[in-house]
Amino acid sequence: MLNNWLYIGLILIIAPIFPIMALIIPRILAPHKPSPLKSETYECGIETVGDTWVQFKVQYYNFALIFLIFDVEIVFLFPWAIAYQQLPLFAVVEGILFILILVAGLVYAWRKGFLEWF
Amino acid sequence: MSAQVVTENVDLLEKFPQSVKQDDRAGYAGYIVSADHLLEVVRFIRDDMGFDYLASITGVDYLPNGLMEAVYHFYKTSGGPGLVIKTQVDREQAAIPSLVSLYPGADFQEREAWDLLGIRFDGHPDLRRILMWEGFAGHPLRKDWHEPYYEEEGKPYKSRWPEGKVYRREDKNPFHKNVDYPAGFDPDKWVPDDDSTLYASVNKISSAGGESGIKTDYVIVNMGPQHPSTHGVFRMVVALEGETIRALKPVMGYLHRNHEKIGERNTFLQNMPFTDRLDYLSSMSNNFGYALAVEKLMGIKPPERAEYLRVIMAEFTRISNHLFAIGSLLNDMGAYFTPMLYAIEERELILDIFEATAGSRIMCNYFRFGGVARDLPEGVEEKMRDLAFKRLPRKIDELDLYLTNNEIVKARGEGVGVLTPEQAIAYSASGPVLRASGVPYDIRRADPYSIYDRFDFDVAVRYHGDVYDRYLIRVDEMRQSVRIIQQALNGLPKGPIQEGKPQYLVRVPAGEAYGRVEAPKGELGFYVVSNGKANPWRYHVRAPSFVNITALETMAKGNKVADTVAILGSIDIVLGELDR
Amino acid sequence: MIMDWALLTEWTIKSLVLIFGLIGGFAYLTLFERKVLARFQVRIGPNRAGPHGILQPIADAIKLIFKEELIPAKADKIIFIVAPIITVIPALIILAVVPFGPDIRLFGRTITLYISDLNVAVLYIMSVTSISVYGIVLAGWSSNNKYATLGGIRSTAQMISYELALGLGFVGPILLSGSLSLVGIVDAQKNVWFFLYQPVGAFIFWVANLAEVNRAPFDMPEAEQELTAGYHTEYSGMKFALFFMAEYIKMIAVSAIAVTLFFGGYRGPLVDQFPVLGPLYFLIKVVAFLYLMVWVRATLPRIRYDRLMAFGWKLLFPISLGNVLLTAVGIGLVGITGNNLWLWFIPVSTILFFLLVSHFAQGAVAGGNK
Repeated sequence: MLNNWLYIGLILIIAPIFPIMALIIPRILAPHKPSPLKSETYECGIETVGDTWVQFKVQYYNFALIFLIFDVEIVFLFPWAIAYQQLPLFAVVEGILFILILVAGLVYAWRKGFLEWF
Repeated sequence: MSAQVVTENVDLLEKFPQSVKQDDRAGYAGYIVSADHLLEVVRFIRDDMGFDYLASITGVDYLPNGLMEAVYHFYKTSGGPGLVIKTQVDREQAAIPSLVSLYPGADFQEREAWDLLGIRFDGHPDLRRILMWEGFAGHPLRKDWHEPYYEEEGKPYKSRWPEGKVYRREDKNPFHKNVDYPAGFDPDKWVPDDDSTLYASVNKISSAGGESGIKTDYVIVNMGPQHPSTHGVFRMVVALEGETIRALKPVMGYLHRNHEKIGERNTFLQNMPFTDRLDYLSSMSNNFGYALAVEKLMGIKPPERAEYLRVIMAEFTRISNHLFAIGSLLNDMGAYFTPMLYAIEERELILDIFEATAGSRIMCNYFRFGGVARDLPEGVEEKMRDLAFKRLPRKIDELDLYLTNNEIVKARGEGVGVLTPEQAIAYSASGPVLRASGVPYDIRRADPYSIYDRFDFDVAVRYHGDVYDRYLIRVDEMRQSVRIIQQALNGLPKGPIQEGKPQYLVRVPAGEAYGRVEAPKGELGFYVVSNGKANPWRYHVRAPSFVNITALETMAKGNKVADTVAILGSIDIVLGELDR
Repeated sequence: MIMDWALLTEWTIKSLVLIFGLIGGFAYLTLFERKVLARFQVRIGPNRAGPHGILQPIADAIKLIFKEELIPAKADKIIFIVAPIITVIPALIILAVVPFGPDIRLFGRTITLYISDLNVAVLYIMSVTSISVYGIVLAGWSSNNKYATLGGIRSTAQMISYELALGLGFVGPILLSGSLSLVGIVDAQKNVWFFLYQPVGAFIFWVANLAEVNRAPFDMPEAEQELTAGYHTEYSGMKFALFFMAEYIKMIAVSAIAVTLFFGGYRGPLVDQFPVLGPLYFLIKVVAFLYLMVWVRATLPRIRYDRLMAFGWKLLFPISLGNVLLTAVGIGLVGITGNNLWLWFIPVSTILFFLLVSHFAQGAVAGGNK
């Protein structure tokens, strides 16, 4: 079994070679004539005003929070799902209860208006 | 020209004996209102006389008299002829009260008049230049403003053929002296304008507000001029809160070429191909409007066959324009060109007809004063019949089938960018934008020109005023256009296509005329003033794209950033006409 | 044992073949997409470079290599350069756990057509796909460009939202096969493809995949009409190509995973007798899915962002939860009665549930408009 992780490690070592080459080769081949105008921020040909890194709308982060809760819960479903066919009835009911708790969480977030986009 | 004013309005003279007098110059119509009482009179015109629609505002520089004149054209959305009033002020200190408080649609048109003619509109909330850039020297449409290459007042120029040999004026210009700078301007030390006034006008509206106690910063983003979906070099400055638009200012003029100034140099006929360049997707309609205006001045009418040909061409133009508009609207909604390419398949066939008849696919230059340029070549009528009776109805049904009930099209369009009927009228919106808001105002029916009163067609109208309805109304209008073309083809008489002899230099008596047509994008008006010479004294284009865009901010505010693009697409602007 | 050089060489070669296969696949997928789109749109498509344009991808690659790369002055330079790499690597390694065919005998050795048979392959896929979100959000943020930032933030919220439905889509096949390993899942589909037991699960998995790889109609992060190019607005040359490549390789990857989970992977007639047919079947199935993706792009306009979120959270997520529940119930019924026919309870009940929820949730999703 450990072997399998070794192979993943192997491809993890091999995989970055290509993108790094893709960054190095143009360094040699591509022209490089920087100018202040070229390195300006693109905003449809107009100089950008104000700061880009501002206090963004909080709504995007709300979704991230809800996601975090549910994602962890889904991961917990996986072991239950593998063993499902050998599980005693008690564990089956437990798993279903778990899903229902998930649903309750979703309904709560929904009712609280966290899923609305305003 | 005098037909534009109804006699029952004489009470304007009785009501305001001090401030209103009849415009009794030869060839002119309407009333002259003193600037001090303009607002009062206009309020009476709007509220008591029922002229709820301000079609056009422009100005004329009467240099020999030392007068600057603002010209207003009012109409009733219930139909009927219009009312023209004018205000004359001293051209050196031209200041006229602004009508924005009464007609919000006056906004951009007044800014244009300020920009190009230098008429200051007192009380205008945001009187900045609109087509020229801030810091431009002078007001180019004034008759005493001369461009760097100035040769003489009107074409044809004598100076270019001194010894029967052509030379270019530019060649005589020393390098770096071919631009006019304001006094005290040094091009080497010039720093580009930082648009501070523009951003200030956005910020004014978007003073930050918090929601649920958590502060969100507004981001000011420039959409355009280099943007894939602004239909050209059009720019919108938007203040975003997350995804939502809190303020929007359109910025235009990147394609400005001072069409009107050039038009005033051209002879009357030279302007005909020049109008093609306005809305370059529907040049036939542009020709139509200009021909109508000049024919009003000349007092002639084209023969029967020419009238029919004009109507057929104008309606084909409408269909081709709407096919294009629907295609690009779907593109703006994020469809990847498939609807666009399906839609313009049939447009190509229409352009084939234009090419066969007028000689050109896009820049048709087909209309003449008192007729059209060429008769139909052999076989084209059959092609037209094939299109009008078979292919176009089928294509429109196909688009309808594929798009109208598409879940995403509905979701993207319904309830987005709503313009209520009251707003639509107040903002002087016209064409599909106005009719999608539930105002059944179609110039072909309300104030018939040419021979439109002979045809049986319905004025398409929809009632929600959203993007989806503005899509639907274009489908409806294409169907009606097909009906008109079918009737016109069936009734197409034989006969001459030109009143009198085709002339290069037409004699146009002194006077004024406002010719307006229902162009595919809305009311296209040409205000032409002649002083009896070979060139028009004033040549103003009331461009539907330009006036319709006035309502853009109202439509876009509160919507998502993705909707702005769809809303802009649903207005259907063409930059050639918007910037002129 | 671990230092078995022959084995190591074999696996290195396999890794290289996979990576170069994916890169070649990416190159020709762009051509495939342009050709297919062109046919959808009554056009011909690329036909200049080589016969039928088959050299077009090479011409594109050469052009991109010779393009000047710009880094905006205001950008955060290190992150700006690292972001495309972070985006590409997960795309390249995702398929390491997918079996492309049964074992093959070659040079006297038994060669397995997968890099690694992880017993937690599904978890591996989920975690690796999550990493690519970082690349996009970092690219958007580091550009210090308003369009890019907006695109980056959008895509984060979008991708995490659809990851839930995606994760729940995995649960169905796991329940049916009792294995987290993709090799195990494919073996479990020897007789019946899971698609037949899991029609709703497969559909949701597919829709969530479209959102996950930012394909139309969910191509929000790079919504051209609004955000010019979204998170990669400031990228040019090969750096841009890396983002492009990541997107297309992810398309291949998710198609391959969908085929593996629901459509029997490399399984097909006569595979056990002729193992070479396995990769062929696999390829055909993957191309069919890629075709579907292009078809969707040619047909549908883009959904608006708020609708997209509402669709993901209010429709897809509840339906996929219900799908998991009903699948569990169905398998439970098989266990209790001992009759395998109860498995057909799953598709029937899930389809009914799907219709029911989508009927009622339509209002909720559309309600986001006002």
